[in-house]
Amino acid sequence: MSKANAAVITPACPAAGRAAPAAARHAWVGPTLVLLALVNLLSCIVVFVRTPLTALPLYFVERYFVLDATSLLFLLVINAVFLGISVYMSSRVGTSPVLARNMLPRAALSLAFMVAMNLGVMSNNLLLLWAFIELTTLCAAPLVAQGDALAPRRVAWHYLLYSSMSLALTFLGFMCLTRSAQLQGLEVSFAVDQLAATLSTSGDSWQRLGLALMLFGLGSKLGLAPLYGWMPETYEAAPTSTSALLAAVQFNISVVAVFRLLQVFRLRDTSFVSHELLIMGCLSLIVAAVQVMAARNYKRLIAYACVSSSGVIAIGLSVGKAAAYGVVLYIVSNAFVKALLFLTAGRLRAVYGTNAVSALSGVIRVLPFSGLMFAVGTFALLGFPPFGSFIAEMLILSGIVQSGNLIAFTLMCAMLTIIFVATGRSIFPMLWGPSERQGPAIHESWVTALPKLGFVSVLVLLGVYTPAPISELLVLVARSIGGQ
Amino acid sequence: MRLPLIAFLLAAVIPVFFGKIRSAPFWLCLQAIAIGWNGVAHSEGLSIHALVALLDVIVVRALIAPLLLRRAIHLRGDANLDLMPSNLFTWVIGIALIVLAFDFGGAAMADVQALALGVVGAMVAIALLLLSTNNSPPAQLVAVLFMENAIAVFESLLPEPWPLPVHGALTAVYLLTVGVGGWLVGTPAAADKASAAPSQGETP
Repeated sequence: MSKANAAVITPACPAAGRAAPAAARHAWVGPTLVLLALVNLLSCIVVFVRTPLTALPLYFVERYFVLDATSLLFLLVINAVFLGISVYMSSRVGTSPVLARNMLPRAALSLAFMVAMNLGVMSNNLLLLWAFIELTTLCAAPLVAQGDALAPRRVAWHYLLYSSMSLALTFLGFMCLTRSAQLQGLEVSFAVDQLAATLSTSGDSWQRLGLALMLFGLGSKLGLAPLYGWMPETYEAAPTSTSALLAAVQFNISVVAVFRLLQVFRLRDTSFVSHELLIMGCLSLIVAAVQVMAARNYKRLIAYACVSSSGVIAIGLSVGKAAAYGVVLYIVSNAFVKALLFLTAGRLRAVYGTNAVSALSGVIRVLPFSGLMFAVGTFALLGFPPFGSFIAEMLILSGIVQSGNLIAFTLMCAMLTIIFVATGRSIFPMLWGPSERQGPAIHESWVTALPKLGFVSVLVLLGVYTPAPISELLVLVARSIGGQ
Repeated sequence: MRLPLIAFLLAAVIPVFFGKIRSAPFWLCLQAIAIGWNGVAHSEGLSIHALVALLDVIVVRALIAPLLLRRAIHLRGDANLDLMPSNLFTWVIGIALIVLAFDFGGAAMADVQALALGVVGAMVAIALLLLSTNNSPPAQLVAVLFMENAIAVFESLLPEPWPLPVHGALTAVYLLTVGVGGWLVGTPAAADKASAAPSQGETP
């Protein structure tokens, strides 16, 4: 499509003219961001290829950091997703005056966020990991404040507040563990590889309370009910690249923290933890099902779908054993699904100028590529074949059946069906309904399309054929959290 | 070792029951001094770690953070509000939470660690009460900073002080919380609404 035609159809295009001077001033920022993201991802890939998995874990910087299967897997995932997000940001500078004006601080904050993410994922000390989670939030809050909600700084403040509160609860958990160790006459160490040895095997009430508080605090960072309220509000109000960063990248550092806890407490009696995760997971699924039915805004709809994904993960973790591999696969798939959906939502927002579902109709005819990607992302999110999330959901459901928890199985199936119907009712007319817009279809540049195509390829690969080294890595991570 | 903990608790409890938001930086400064005192009492001799920790408390917690908070409070314009709404209901809940926190920590006067646990528990409970009773963003920021100071006191529960990297990371978190939080909170509501870019399709 010609530029002249695009100017008639898209409301974003008058902005393109205004974006040009600002974009020209900081023209180097976008490519530099992409280059740094690419270098980081390539470094992770080189480490993955050259390090035999049997040689793991490797400790460095006085054992404060560790490279094990968990950290390696999540380093690969977060850096791959970040590369896609940075390509998207770089490609949008030319058409968005707001982004062009703020590209330098946004890129700097995104990089600071990624440094904290990478260090956090590799952290071998729970206190350091806690600090890095909070640092990622502190880097992301100014990014959220750049959104175009009614009061973006208020939303960013709520996000920061929720995070501080939930991490304070997590810290209270650390405190309880310390007290437990003191009462048993042991010296507590928060190094992940030593913590298990410094805790009593019997597990007193302080230890149980500590673990419960830590999981509750981290659960709220994952968007699990009851402390999930920050998630839809923040994801809707933030710029879409930031929403993708939060949903597809930051989410994973909290997952790593939960995995670390499960790795530490694996050999202890953790039945109460399973119950806590199961309750939080089921509650999240119910909340998400109700809210998805009520949602009339596609960004909010994706956000509630993220709440439901967190619920599935929590239920899977509560089952452990047979479901563990499915949980790990589900988490990895979800990172790419969320990134795909949010970046595509950003494109829809740029063209239609609204997040309201009712204002969009026949997207597939106006924006064929974005419409297709949104449809693919929605199907992957809902757990359809041939995507990785399909196999993952099947494995989780099979794990639940094997554990004999038929109530959880029934509830999960029922809630996922409701979410599917409600999502379809909102999204399908938006994509395939009659279009009110005149003129030819709008096509995307290959640079904008590239990250989305990359995400779809990964999703299909995870569902159809997972290369042996990746599969081996997934199995190792699943085993570390108690998988069979 | 008991006195600094009691001083810290008083510096947290008095402003919650009797203070206005504008006085919070002063009480935050007092809390920092109590943390520093507790740290010095807890450390055995003068070490690099003790010096760095003391410097962190004096420069970051007692000086920079209160100044940044004071600036945010003045920009926002809620300075004369009560830190916690002063009514019988919140007072009863507040007092009950403090008693519960100490009860939870065991016989608080039995040993210093139990006292520290009671102080930290009481601080977190009071901060959560503040968050639930006051929707003024500066008061919420004060509650968050109270919680983070409680985390700093937690160090005295440990047999060994935190390693320097952990100390550095927690200081960075505290400083950034007051910096970023102050920036977000310091914007009056009307200006925040005006800052939103309503133009279509400009926020990717």
